[in-house]
Amino acid sequence: MAVSPMITYEQQSDPSPSDTKQLPLRTTSVSSLQDAAIAATQQAQDFAERLNEETRSKYVKDKKLGEGTYAIVYLGHLSRDPSSLVAIKKIKINTEFRDGLSMDAIREVKYLQELSHPNIIALDAVFSSKNQNLNLVLEYLPLGDLEMLIRDTNGIQYGTAEVKAWMGMLGRAVWFCHENFVLHRDIKPNNLLIGADGEVKLADFGLARSFSDPYRPMTCQVITRWYRPPELLMGARFYSGAVDVWSVGMVFAELILRSPFVPGSTDVHQLEMICEGVGTPAETNWPGVTSLPGYVSFDKRSLGARDRNYFVSRFGTAGPIGVDLLMSMLALDPRKRCTARQVLEHKWWSVEPQPTDKQDLPKKGGGMEKMGEDLKRRGGEVDDSRSERVARKLDFGAR
Amino acid sequence: MILLNEDDIYRSSTQYKFWSFTLDSLSSLRNTTNTLAANGVREAVLQQKQKSAGVGNIEDVTIDCLTVEEEQKLVGFYCVKAMQLADFCDFPTNVKVRLVPSCPFAYQIADVSRAAQATAVQYLKRFYLSNSPMTYHPKEIMRSAVFLSTKTENHYTSLRSFVAKLPKTTADDILAPEFLLTQGLRFTFDVRHPHRALEGGFMECLAIARGQRGELLKNTMMRIGSSEHWKKGAAKDTDQLVARIQGAHGRAKDTLKTSALLTDVYFHYTPSQIWLSAFLLADQPLTEFFVESAMPANSDMKQRLVNVLRGCAKMLSASLSADPGDAEMKELMEIDKKLYKCRNPEKIDLVSMNKAAKREGGQEGELDEKVIKKRKLEREQKADDVFGPPI
Repeated sequence: MAVSPMITYEQQSDPSPSDTKQLPLRTTSVSSLQDAAIAATQQAQDFAERLNEETRSKYVKDKKLGEGTYAIVYLGHLSRDPSSLVAIKKIKINTEFRDGLSMDAIREVKYLQELSHPNIIALDAVFSSKNQNLNLVLEYLPLGDLEMLIRDTNGIQYGTAEVKAWMGMLGRAVWFCHENFVLHRDIKPNNLLIGADGEVKLADFGLARSFSDPYRPMTCQVITRWYRPPELLMGARFYSGAVDVWSVGMVFAELILRSPFVPGSTDVHQLEMICEGVGTPAETNWPGVTSLPGYVSFDKRSLGARDRNYFVSRFGTAGPIGVDLLMSMLALDPRKRCTARQVLEHKWWSVEPQPTDKQDLPKKGGGMEKMGEDLKRRGGEVDDSRSERVARKLDFGAR
Repeated sequence: MILLNEDDIYRSSTQYKFWSFTLDSLSSLRNTTNTLAANGVREAVLQQKQKSAGVGNIEDVTIDCLTVEEEQKLVGFYCVKAMQLADFCDFPTNVKVRLVPSCPFAYQIADVSRAAQATAVQYLKRFYLSNSPMTYHPKEIMRSAVFLSTKTENHYTSLRSFVAKLPKTTADDILAPEFLLTQGLRFTFDVRHPHRALEGGFMECLAIARGQRGELLKNTMMRIGSSEHWKKGAAKDTDQLVARIQGAHGRAKDTLKTSALLTDVYFHYTPSQIWLSAFLLADQPLTEFFVESAMPANSDMKQRLVNVLRGCAKMLSASLSADPGDAEMKELMEIDKKLYKCRNPEKIDLVSMNKAAKREGGQEGELDEKVIKKRKLEREQKADDVFGPPI
């Protein structure tokens, strides 16, 4: 706080794109409005339009990688460098949603424009094509997603060092979102794409939103069911980054087990599985839980919270300290769950084994088609092959 | 190791990268926009006249175009209108029935709608940096800006109910300019406001006043003398000190609701600088004390910062009125009359323009039954020419 206004002002007195380059973050070149204005003067043209055309001409669309209800994904490349590949996600406008630009498109563009981090998929540019469809130029991530690696139990072998490397990258991505007051609200293995260098990148911000103001309710119909925390399943309308941390914990568990930890088939079943796998929410371990609007009593086979021995027996390969971290991410009471920052500060990262270097992590290929599949989905949607866990219809109108 | 502080985060924001300017760069940008638009109007009018009068009979036309200042006044007026519209949409007469059950604190609802309102105004101001009212009338863009802001600020109401609140407005009227608007905004929807920061500063001041930051700091705060709005001198007790802070907070909040939105401060200053400047206007000695308490001892930063804040405060004081008087209204009417004669005739019918643009792109999106066929058609077209027909 003390230095904040001062330094920013010095920078701002002469804002130039080069200022941003001193950041240890991804930077993209920024064409200024002034430059476009000068160019536009020579061509007597709207310069917002000119900027858009300039951006559009920087990229060439190649073949189509995938098409969903929400978007079509193309492989593309830079016009001046055909070897520099990108994915172009063309958002379909005016299909189902009659109210102009859809909420998922707005959310995705709004947040990806602001978040520049090595572990968050980079949005290089946005432009519109002639028919007024939005095109998102995203970094090309050809090595599939984390779910593919988890599922391929025959082809892919990995151990704790690899899990630690992936979890570290996921943890940093989520920490960065929360540091920027953004909730992702759809963390799951197939939203974790893998770059050519093995770097894990959090993608699909179609359900993201800023932290709410006090007393301002949010929708609880977010996060794909298997990764949805108990407070959302019980209808909590006021929540925090803790919802994302639960999802991260579920990804951690799934990386170790190599199958989803609590794959419920309905919301009620999901809660039952959480009671079974993590513990039964009750006033003793989660003060106030009984007053949540969707609270269901599971007293009959109440287990309370699962103890440490149980977790060690199932997740022992992560080591005792790894189990501590997992348990703190899967605390039933969101107020007791660790924050994204606490995840990164955990001592698990400094004990043996050291995380595997990203270039040595197991790879599966995946290829461009897989990226097309991953990007075309709408938030909360799952692959057809796994339709048993399709999320409920999302209520975007809920505040 | 990546070390981040607030400044790093702010510098990676689109508000800093795309929407921050020096005084000179902002004014030259506005001049260019105005010149471009005026040329566009002349050309379009000339073409129209040539068409109706036969080929080449008319060589030039003189049109009295708006000046940059007139454009600014007009946009400013519609910023006020946008605020009123956002207010009106959020506070229907049945506010108690509709809003209170889900949100028990009426005061908080007001804060929430403020975010959408403030964002709508900034959208308008950003849009008119690269567009002129002569090309797109702010009255039409304003409605779309308010609607878009309800979507980007998690305040979404369906278009149908939004339109129902507006007189003589169709859904097409709102949607037609949306694309132009998003393009003018360079597809950046995030606006960083000073409102939350003010609340944080307010809470921090209260904590100091209540002794939660140590007796020493509290006693120094008690001793702060009178200011323009606080005539009672040093505080006699905690209650009086709290009252002083609350008064300053209330005035600063009003400044953020009005002049901070209507002036250019968002283009020149950071959110922290804006709220501190609003606080400075509300109670200067209190703000200076607060700034000093947050700085390391023996730093020359305080004076430098206060100088920056004074510049921002000066800009805030020179705001257009949020409630224009008769003389101002008369001037605005004159400008609007003048605009009537210098509008770009090609860009008046936005609804038809929008439909034409979509047809041109090979997508109509009119009827449900046609969607499947349309997609197939679209795919075939795309296979030939991924970027649509030549420009």
